[in-house]
Amino acid sequence: MKHNTVIIGGGLAGLVAGISLQQAGQETAIVSTGQNALHFFSGTFESLQEAPERMNTLFNEAGIRLQYSPGVRLMPLGTFRESALSLEDIGLFTTPKFARKVLIVNFMGYHDFFSSFLAEGLEKQGMQCRIRFLNLPEMDKLEQSPSEMRSVQIARTMDRIWEKVVQEVRVLLKDEDAVVLPQVFGLQDTAVPGRIRQGIPARVVFAGTLPPSVPGIRTQMLLKRRYEVLGGTYLMGDEALSSHVHEGVVHSIVTKNLDNHYLEADNFILATGGFFSKGLRSNPFEITEPVFGLDVVYDADRNAWYDKAFAADQPYMHYGVKTDESLHGIADGKPFKNLYAIGSILGGTRPELGSGAGLAIKSAFAAVDEILRRPAPQDDKGIRQDAKDASLVD
Amino acid sequence: MKLQEYTESKYNFEECMKCTVCTAYCPVLQVNPLYPGPKQAGPDGERLRLKDPYFFNYALKYCMNCKRCEVACPSGVNVADLIQAARIKYDQSKPKLRDTLLASTDFMGSFARPFAPIVNGVTSLGITKSAMDAMLKIDHQRVFPKYSGRSFEGWLKRREKEQAVFQEQVAYFHGCYVNYNYPQLGKDLVKVLNALGIGVQLLEKEKCCGIAMITNGMSAQATKHARHNVAVLRKAVVDKGLRVLTTSSSCTLTLREEYPNLLGVDNADVKDSLLMATRFIFEKLEKGATLKFKTGFHKKIAYHVPCHMEKMGWGVFSEKLLRMIPGVEFTLLDSACCGIAGTYGFKKENYAASQAIGAALFDQIRTVNPDVVACDCETCKWQIEMSTGYSVMNPISILAEAIE
Amino acid sequence: MNPNEFDVIIIGGGITGAGTQRDCAMRGLRTLLVERSDIATGATGRNHGLLHSGARYAVNDAESARECIEENMILRRIAAHCIDETDGLFITLPEDDLGYQQTFVEACQSAGINAEIIDPELARRLEPSVNPELIGAVKVPDGSVDPFRLCAANMLDAKLHGGQVRLYTEVTGFIREGDTVKGIHTRSRQTGEEVDYYAPVIVNAGGIWGHQIAEMAGVHVGMYPAKGALLIFAHRVNNVVINRCRKPSNADILVPGDTVCIIGTTSTRIPFEECNNVAVTPDEVTLLITEGAKLAPSLSSTRILRAYAGVRPLVSADNDPTGRNISRGIVCLDHEERDGLKGFVTITGGKLMTYRLMAEMATDTVCRKLGVDKSCETATTPLPGSEERSYEAVAQKIWEAPSTAQKAAAARMGTSALRIRGNNPYDDALICECEEVSVGEINSAIDRLEVSTLTDLRRRTRIGMGTCQGEFCACRAASLLAKAHGCVEKERADLANFLNERWKGNFPIGWGDTLREAEYTQWVYKHVLGL
Repeated sequence: MKHNTVIIGGGLAGLVAGISLQQAGQETAIVSTGQNALHFFSGTFESLQEAPERMNTLFNEAGIRLQYSPGVRLMPLGTFRESALSLEDIGLFTTPKFARKVLIVNFMGYHDFFSSFLAEGLEKQGMQCRIRFLNLPEMDKLEQSPSEMRSVQIARTMDRIWEKVVQEVRVLLKDEDAVVLPQVFGLQDTAVPGRIRQGIPARVVFAGTLPPSVPGIRTQMLLKRRYEVLGGTYLMGDEALSSHVHEGVVHSIVTKNLDNHYLEADNFILATGGFFSKGLRSNPFEITEPVFGLDVVYDADRNAWYDKAFAADQPYMHYGVKTDESLHGIADGKPFKNLYAIGSILGGTRPELGSGAGLAIKSAFAAVDEILRRPAPQDDKGIRQDAKDASLVD
Repeated sequence: MKLQEYTESKYNFEECMKCTVCTAYCPVLQVNPLYPGPKQAGPDGERLRLKDPYFFNYALKYCMNCKRCEVACPSGVNVADLIQAARIKYDQSKPKLRDTLLASTDFMGSFARPFAPIVNGVTSLGITKSAMDAMLKIDHQRVFPKYSGRSFEGWLKRREKEQAVFQEQVAYFHGCYVNYNYPQLGKDLVKVLNALGIGVQLLEKEKCCGIAMITNGMSAQATKHARHNVAVLRKAVVDKGLRVLTTSSSCTLTLREEYPNLLGVDNADVKDSLLMATRFIFEKLEKGATLKFKTGFHKKIAYHVPCHMEKMGWGVFSEKLLRMIPGVEFTLLDSACCGIAGTYGFKKENYAASQAIGAALFDQIRTVNPDVVACDCETCKWQIEMSTGYSVMNPISILAEAIE
Repeated sequence: MNPNEFDVIIIGGGITGAGTQRDCAMRGLRTLLVERSDIATGATGRNHGLLHSGARYAVNDAESARECIEENMILRRIAAHCIDETDGLFITLPEDDLGYQQTFVEACQSAGINAEIIDPELARRLEPSVNPELIGAVKVPDGSVDPFRLCAANMLDAKLHGGQVRLYTEVTGFIREGDTVKGIHTRSRQTGEEVDYYAPVIVNAGGIWGHQIAEMAGVHVGMYPAKGALLIFAHRVNNVVINRCRKPSNADILVPGDTVCIIGTTSTRIPFEECNNVAVTPDEVTLLITEGAKLAPSLSSTRILRAYAGVRPLVSADNDPTGRNISRGIVCLDHEERDGLKGFVTITGGKLMTYRLMAEMATDTVCRKLGVDKSCETATTPLPGSEERSYEAVAQKIWEAPSTAQKAAAARMGTSALRIRGNNPYDDALICECEEVSVGEINSAIDRLEVSTLTDLRRRTRIGMGTCQGEFCACRAASLLAKAHGCVEKERADLANFLNERWKGNFPIGWGDTLREAEYTQWVYKHVLGL
């Protein structure tokens, strides 16, 4: 199968790159080993101080509304963190004290929402708190299974019965000027958080829960749908194993599902993430990048990979692959001509691009621009190399 | 190997990061609170089962084996295989008569076929359905597939000589559905392949792939079928150098993956030559082969990727093949399970869950309002036709209709 | 009666202290146990979890071996829910001397240990993960024991017999009147509160810290801290204990325990200052994996869960200042006879296995000093939870069709699982999914088993002992604890501490899936939850 660009990794970086390239008229494919880190997305784009116009447009066209409001956001454990750019349903405040009195509402038996931690955190900021629990008959089925009270399952039910929740909250509300609810609304129906806000006569703040993150899943679904509507081919549940490379030019990749049906393309983007998503592999002796064998920046001494204190900054979380100024991946010191690396596989090797979501988006746009600037890769004779000459890189 | 250079575990269960993404995508969990979900049933449960088989949870029988958990897993854990393997190893309950009957498609097929008109008439009668519901717990609402009076094997056998003329040859694993219920699909495949200059042969007495036996506690029988089928495939692939094509996604997954992964039947020497017909034909067309399409052909198609097709990752081939047909207005339906899961949806205790799982898909089909739903799986076809009234065709049949 | 006055005070909440308190309480004494941390945080919580058959000592220390097998049999009867009767194998590899097997078996037999030579083929069938190249095998009645459960059960029984427990309470000094010890000064590590307690007899069961406690009382007990490192693998690779049939050496035992298996151990002398902060070195990690793979080859490619180390309280015999004359046997010192100090007894040395015997010796001494004539009944009275030997029977009795979580609860709590059969379906919700621990089980532990922190809860219920190492269950359980103790601020700090403790055991083996899990945990707690 031949595409203009093949993107390995279907997370935030891969999707942003894919959507941008499809919009520019390219035919692309994304290969993704299962669902991705957007499922644990907090909803705030760290290290992005403002939304690049481009990003705003892309997200809006996908049906995702962003808000830019420098300040702080309320974290699930009751702390506050500086944020500026986030999804629309995440509450951002100019100061931590966003109300006088707060009603915190949770569902009976839902352990992934930390009402007591939230209350303590808010009280520390001078707000008075009251915690109440909802016990809706529609949730009986969820309560039967010992492990079913999790965010996604609740969100599915909420998409149908959110109006009931609004009614119950209105009844519970006394003189509070703010209500904190768990972030389990608007999985399929993106309008629900907005409608809940309208229905409750107080400031409504959605606070996060243990993963999976409902806004994260919603974002992923919308981005993936946008990508497919634009004509992109999303190969879900497939894994890139190796590549055919000749003189710095990648001709095709081999995937687990498509086996000897290689994915050929003019350009390739590696967006496979960090250790969790297996973008980087580790054993007691080394850290490697498994698809193309890109050079990885890391400490040879394994003891230097970690800081003994859990809360401290961990060196291994900054390890990433080497790239040149144009984000071409580098193997054995030599840059590939048509392979780009974007997103958290870069680790901390490109500090100017930021980290986390900011890194994913900025590097994705940068790689897309590079690809659109250059025609398909050619060798010195100006002829396209035949795939037969390529050697398999494991 | 250096110590700990890599780690391995059965079905990769140690690679589970407990992220619970699999549980978020399990269709069963959404409708049946008795099912613990893939993470609990799979990697969590495995650690306890290794301590003592006593910890096996019989609720694992609610797993549909749709493999969606595996498709969603970011760590590459074979969650569904782990669950089915646990059922095979630890579930000591004997299959009920009903389950044996539902799973013995070869037996039922060869028994019913000579009496097809009678059988078809009888199984659609309300009184029969009520009886089956009461006695066997086969839900009375479920529509039974019709049996064909003539088998596909018979039809192709009669055309052996004319097929042998073609330069290029392939073998065809037709499966139970084409043979006993709907030979037309097999005929459609032959038409398309012949149009590409390729002749079609039967395998030397294939048996039912055994998928329903695996999930209904008849793994010993399934293994017998597996060994038989792999030997038969070897005759075609190794001895004759043929590729073997299929038209049923679940048969294909079973032959390629479930045989080695769940039944311990090695198929390494035949697996790569076993392909779904849509992939084979797409690859031919991509390499320059051509088909003559009818002028004025127009169809609005909504394509549903069957769960097992999604697991194999080959939905893209059927999709691209359909898009190649001029006059086709194509919609890719959202990734969703239709809910029938083979014999699962026939059982009374699963019927409601089955219909609830498929509800979103049925709604989307009604919204899209296609001329036909395209799907590579026969049980999906029964489910969608019964639940929406829309007609379902295998992509090969659509292709056959579109060519001269 | 002054509420701070007791018949006997026991210092140290390890298995020896808890066992001693139980025995004393059962003989009618009014007892107090003080422990500066949580129960089982010394050697009790950092050993191999091996229910020795004693075979390992048969050749060189027949007395220890005999003690072991007798206690082994006793514990199976009285601590059923804490023990997994797995059997054990002593295997001879091609590089070992097969001749040793005969010596070994004879020594076992004369110590009363039923050691049976079996065909290597049978050994392979009994334990499929065993090194297939073994050339000899001996079957012995080894088993595995959960030391946290055992310790908690002893403490619980002591409390049920009227005993009192003060955890997180440190002894800061002794109250002496001339040559008599009358009581102890203590300070609570949680509140800073200082309280004095009095008793005519005080038992020093402080393990390796018994050395400092004795010094504080004014006597010298020569001790020799010997560190042992171990690795826990992520799942239960073997179901039978696998030992090397040779002179005891490093890393030659692989013990299955609950949902994991543990390879150990090493022996390195360390200075006293290091006892509070033992860590596993990279060399130790390499040694453990290498030697472990000789017992079960699959270990070289099995995910490792965590690394930990404990300190053995070895005693120098006769106050030998050079520390050369080391005894692994039980040491019970009546300081009145030995040093002229009245009212003070030290019980130390020994093994986890022989705790009950140690407790009996200590309690006999205490009773003698108090003039109490009651015999020991700990060998015949089951611990609470151990009244029924089979957890299958327990689960069946309590719930007719138990779910997996309920089965797991029966296996952990024994007959005490009856307490969590409730009408409240919310109590069935799982807090720890890896180990299937429910809200009910956690609340029961908080109610009865002196739980202050998440790490305490982990020891009582196994939350956080699965492969995710507390990724999810830690904050869920923290919410429950915050509710129970009414202090969220403390719980936040507790949560951070719990994660730090888990990390200590993860980074020495921080590669592969362990590193992936660690990255995920960092992401969840720092970026998603905002810890």
